[in-house]
Amino acid sequence: MLLRHEGFRRLCRARDLLLDTRERPLTIHELARDIQISPFHLIRQFEAVFGSTPHQFRQASRLELARQLLASGQHSVTEVCMEVGFSSLGSFSVLFTRRMGETPSAYQRRMRRVFAVPCLVSQHLMPGCLTLMGRIPRSSWPE
Amino acid sequence: MRIKLTSIMVDDQEKGLRFYTDVLGFRKKHDIPVGEYRWITVTSPEGPDDVELALEPNANPAGKAFQTAMFTQGIPLAAFEVADLAGEFKRLTGHGVVFTKEPTPAGPITLAVFADTCGNLIQIYQRA
Repeated sequence: MLLRHEGFRRLCRARDLLLDTRERPLTIHELARDIQISPFHLIRQFEAVFGSTPHQFRQASRLELARQLLASGQHSVTEVCMEVGFSSLGSFSVLFTRRMGETPSAYQRRMRRVFAVPCLVSQHLMPGCLTLMGRIPRSSWPE
Repeated sequence: MRIKLTSIMVDDQEKGLRFYTDVLGFRKKHDIPVGEYRWITVTSPEGPDDVELALEPNANPAGKAFQTAMFTQGIPLAAFEVADLAGEFKRLTGHGVVFTKEPTPAGPITLAVFADTCGNLIQIYQRA
């Protein structure tokens, strides 16, 4: 498939709208209407470019945000669930577990264990690539 | 000093590994668990086995912001040389790969640009 500039621009806008958690989430039909293509073409082209459907993309971005919030240790699982846009704690837990391999609470407990113990290795000695990859919050490192 | 390792960020390492191996044809060299992520590198069967491309997660918001901005601006984040650009364009199109630029002469090379399904635009080029 060859995507011309205008089509590419539309898909980028769709991606940005899907990542915007401030407003009420747009339905696929609303999204398609906003970028002026049919829902069928939106789903097909979006998946071809980004490797997932718009729904899957939005869900993945929410779960990634949830992962970061849980790792920070400053919010309860329920608070994180609501913050990232899930209305059901049960659904959130199932999806998080499926994606991350452990429940939200287990993940948060594991992160607390990792960073609650005085770190034997100074942050400066930790390979930068690991901290960058893991997006370990700066607040997690002991002074 | 030698260049043996480079990297590209992907929004999903498993998805990235499948695309870079099953679609692009690279071979997995390393796949080592590193906490929540994996140290994944691939090599080209057409090149030296010790020149590796790491598929790094874009979990860092700074990395994600950079990747998103470059993608939106249509700027490829990596370029791979091919022997037959027209053939690769046809092969990848048959795999469902989306191109944002079809094979286009550009001075001493001909190039094309596609989306790697992991948040990046990639350029492939053939020397004249």
